Amino acid sequence: MENNFFVLAVVFAPLIGAVVALLVKDDLTSRWIGFGSSVLSALASIYVLVMNLNVGPQLYRMGGFEPPYGIVFTVDLLSAFFGLMAAVVMSLAFLYTVTCNDKAVKQRSFVSMFLCMQTGLIGAFYTGDIFTLFVFMELMVLSSVGLTAISDNKLGLEAAMKYIFISGMGTLFLLLGIAAMYASFGSLNMADIAQQLGTDERPFLAVASEIMLLCAFLLKGAVFPFHFWQPDFHTTAPTPVSAVLSSVVVKIGIYGVIRMETLLFVAEANIIGNVVLILGIISIFFGGLAALATYNGKRMLAYSTFGQIGFILLGIGWGTPLALAAALVYAFNHAFIKSALLMLFGVVASRTKEKTAALVDTVGVGKSLPGYVGLVYLAGGLALAGLPPMNGFMSKFALMRSGVDTSSWWLVGLAIGGGLITSMYMIRTWQSVFQRYPGETTAKLKDEGMYDKPYAPAILIGACLVLGLFAQPLFDVAERTVEQISDPQIYISATNPQTASASLEIVEGE
Amino acid sequence: MEIIFSLAVGIIFGLGVFQMLRHDLIKAAMGFGILFTGVNLFILSVGAYDGVAPAYTTLAENAQISDPLVQALILTAVVIGFGSYSLLLAIINVISRRFKTIDSDEVDSLKN
Repeated sequence: MENNFFVLAVVFAPLIGAVVALLVKDDLTSRWIGFGSSVLSALASIYVLVMNLNVGPQLYRMGGFEPPYGIVFTVDLLSAFFGLMAAVVMSLAFLYTVTCNDKAVKQRSFVSMFLCMQTGLIGAFYTGDIFTLFVFMELMVLSSVGLTAISDNKLGLEAAMKYIFISGMGTLFLLLGIAAMYASFGSLNMADIAQQLGTDERPFLAVASEIMLLCAFLLKGAVFPFHFWQPDFHTTAPTPVSAVLSSVVVKIGIYGVIRMETLLFVAEANIIGNVVLILGIISIFFGGLAALATYNGKRMLAYSTFGQIGFILLGIGWGTPLALAAALVYAFNHAFIKSALLMLFGVVASRTKEKTAALVDTVGVGKSLPGYVGLVYLAGGLALAGLPPMNGFMSKFALMRSGVDTSSWWLVGLAIGGGLITSMYMIRTWQSVFQRYPGETTAKLKDEGMYDKPYAPAILIGACLVLGLFAQPLFDVAERTVEQISDPQIYISATNPQTASASLEIVEGE
Repeated sequence: MEIIFSLAVGIIFGLGVFQMLRHDLIKAAMGFGILFTGVNLFILSVGAYDGVAPAYTTLAENAQISDPLVQALILTAVVIGFGSYSLLLAIINVISRRFKTIDSDEVDSLKN
């Protein structure tokens, strides 16, 4: 198959933008450069998804080496789906950055680190080489640590320190798993490894590697036993960064688990599925109850991410085509809703003098914001809780439907209960921030008109409404994705045409 | 050779985990560096000692060559490990000035 240049453009347009943004003196110009390169990347990712739907998996072989030897970017529908989600949310986060008044976003390195994060994120989704996956993940981790360390919130430094220790350990074990993979199969190409895993006997190191990879991905996704860094890190990051962290970056874990279940370790899919189901249902309750009990709006949304990831894991755990499609749609919708809500809370926090998002300090702050902000927040809260007509309803409905099909009544009941908790804390914060009048505890406000402009979250929630009213195209794409990933041979033959042609010759010989 | 390597990897891992769990943040950071070295050694032991001659040299004409890919991997992993180690130390440096301590129990202002 031909090399598709646009695959490279999606991954490396932000990296070029990062270099250019460092050369510019004016910080506003550099933020616009960041927005521009991010939008370019998003447009290219849309093109890659469309090509995927019309033609088939897209490839780019670095340096022209034939797989399995060279580094290859293999973009099948799953990668393109996640890549599109990441690129669109990133470009809207940059739109927020342009209108943001934080000191952190005016630092010279902010835009380039943010763009490096996008490169790492999308590169991890797109690559077909497992070692390159590690490199991109580490790029993303390091740049997000830097971004949080320069946050306006003084405690960002502490959160960054915790995150670099924990996530550093996570990527270390990912590297160990990759090395074990290389020791067993002598290859780093995911398609090649998948083929050998599908045919040969299972070496002991491959099983160890499976466990290490699963733990590393669950840590990235902030799933139950590995979640403790997540609320700190997502609360203290600068608003646009925390919006991206909490919506898209945690999806790397989801992507990794889906890839493991459908491509690498298809034979063990049942075991992975059951592990993920149990961890998912614990996450739903732990996250929901913790979000209900916390004191800070941003922290509440971070805990809520922790719970929502649990819902996605339920879909992956059930593993039927409908459940997987529902999980994909859920992941896509959640990325839009959660980034919009975090940005909205950033807008509310930017109205106060100390940029605090604590719930007692923000009582009635919404009264001094334009009226539509409250409406947008309410719509986002309804979407997160899964009420019609927003997109959250569609994804939750599809997920519960697939749960009913597998007749796991207990889990469905528990998940609906977890969903009710979501609506509880979302409505409560909406009332306290936008409905009540400022009280004695309310923090001092800035002068009139001084706040981050809520354009980006308004666009995102508008997209949520559209996705809720016209959900069919998204479900079609998700269904086709599931159709594609349920046959690992499609990915393998797209990456390694020789092995595919070899098997064709065998068929012809017969 | 394999036994020596596996022993070395095991000992380095043990040391790294022990250091990582110390209260002193700088010692914990050193544990992080030691763990990265252990993983690099593990990657090296995967393939570098299978052959006797380095790859892509005139020596390699008749002898069995050793795997060049693991060395390339280590080169990348070393650079990444060095980057994260130095970023970690830089963050600890700023923490020591802001919190006036490097005890990990006292750097604990983020509460629920």
